[in-house]
Amino acid sequence: MTTGATTYEDVDGDRSAGGRDGRPDEHFEDETIMHLERDQFVAETSRPVARAPLSPRASAALWALRLFAVVVSLMVVYTFIRQLH
Amino acid sequence: MALTGVTDSPAVALPPLTEEDTARSLDRARVHEARRRGSRWPLMWLLVGPGILAMLGENDGPSMIAYASDGAQYGLGFFVPFIPLLFAMAYVCQEMCMRVGAVTHRGYGELVLQRFGSVWGWFAAADLTLTNLITLVAEFVSIRVGLAYFHLGSAVAVALGLLLVVFTFSGGRYWRWERIVLGMALFNGLFLLAAILAKPHVGAIVSSLDFSPFPGGSFNTLLLLLASTIGATVTPWMIFFQQGASADKGMTPRDIRHGRYDTAAGAVLAAIFGIGALVAGAALLTHNGAGIQGFAGAGFPNALRRVAGSAAGTVFALGLIEAGAVAILTISASTAYAAAECVGVAHSFNTFPREAALFYAANFGIALVAAVVILIPGAPLLSIALNANVLATVLLPVSLVFMVMLANDKGLMGRWANKRSTNVIGIAVIAFVGACGAAYGIDSFLQTTHLIG
Repeated sequence: MTTGATTYEDVDGDRSAGGRDGRPDEHFEDETIMHLERDQFVAETSRPVARAPLSPRASAALWALRLFAVVVSLMVVYTFIRQLH
Repeated sequence: MALTGVTDSPAVALPPLTEEDTARSLDRARVHEARRRGSRWPLMWLLVGPGILAMLGENDGPSMIAYASDGAQYGLGFFVPFIPLLFAMAYVCQEMCMRVGAVTHRGYGELVLQRFGSVWGWFAAADLTLTNLITLVAEFVSIRVGLAYFHLGSAVAVALGLLLVVFTFSGGRYWRWERIVLGMALFNGLFLLAAILAKPHVGAIVSSLDFSPFPGGSFNTLLLLLASTIGATVTPWMIFFQQGASADKGMTPRDIRHGRYDTAAGAVLAAIFGIGALVAGAALLTHNGAGIQGFAGAGFPNALRRVAGSAAGTVFALGLIEAGAVAILTISASTAYAAAECVGVAHSFNTFPREAALFYAANFGIALVAAVVILIPGAPLLSIALNANVLATVLLPVSLVFMVMLANDKGLMGRWANKRSTNVIGIAVIAFVGACGAAYGIDSFLQTTHLIG
């Protein structure tokens, strides 16, 4: 992903993200860049989320469902091809 | 968590800013301003989009042909209440997608891949690519069918579809893309107009609300109808699309209420327009026993013209063009989100093609491949169109299971995780969709191989 292509100054002119006095204030909220939540920034969403632990039973159930979907899909495709003839 | 007040030294603490962030923040500024002013309708206007696009995008060419075929073969009974019921199911699924996208700011593909492992992520992307490719072929067929009514050929259909995809890329802004497609999607209402022009008997529509008469015919035909109608309402691409688009739009947990309005509005409009196609198709019920296969092709608008007048046929043909065109844009977009998310590169309409080459290449590429297929002489396009929904129905339960798992993941969702009632309904939807898809697949296979009569 592209990073660092733009600076906060490019977006907000001479205003820093924390307001002219460097502290959050009412103007701070009006600045465009401030309307993104921290975890919305590309730099943040580029970080992968942690892996969720899947129990063996959950894994087995997911594999069973996957296998079932593949088998039924193949049946649909086979039927479709046979019907063409 | 809003940035305001987070730090007094943003130059140190804030993450590096990209052009994508800049574009998204401009949209969010307008949302913030509307919310600050208490402007209810402008806020609604700013926050609608992904839900309506997902629902009306699913009212695509094959879906409208499926609804119209249902009406032509079986009349209004059963399907008039069944279509809203299916869109209520779709709402449950799509609300979860919107909520997960708004809370995590990430697409479905990347969350499945990162949270449950790359194998499941790539399986999901492969399912999506397969069903999307088949469905996109059907969308081009839909445009071609509509254009054939005006004596225009496949080449025009291909050019129109691909030009639309390229046109919507311009601007490097999600907002612009969304508004263009949203404007086009509202023309899905042409099917309602076609129904009105067909002069239906209002009493017959009202009396069909009790789910009767139940469709007759063989068990396999009934299963095909159920599977294709379900596939016309809830599909894997909608999951990828709405979650990805909600994140791309910059929705946050504060926007979830409006996201629900957006999704509900989409479901209501899609159900009304879908019933419009059904009612228009029902005008053919008593004319030479129109069947699913017989009226699924270029003859549908022409058949309607003969029965209900040229205005009805023309409007229906225009509706098919619109339905195919909008679906090409949304389905291609869902493919692009999935491909770029799984590879881990930029995946936003708030970028330009030079910054997100894979995202835009996947978006255009899958549309191009589908377009090439419809130019192949003798390709079984109508069979592809009819089977696209069935295959989507068969593969849908896997996508829905991961969706429910993500929406229940308290580590990701916190207090926005699913409630018990949502889970009960979600699991019931998965069971129903899985049972219908599997029943049709197995029954058709056994009949084709002559293992049953």
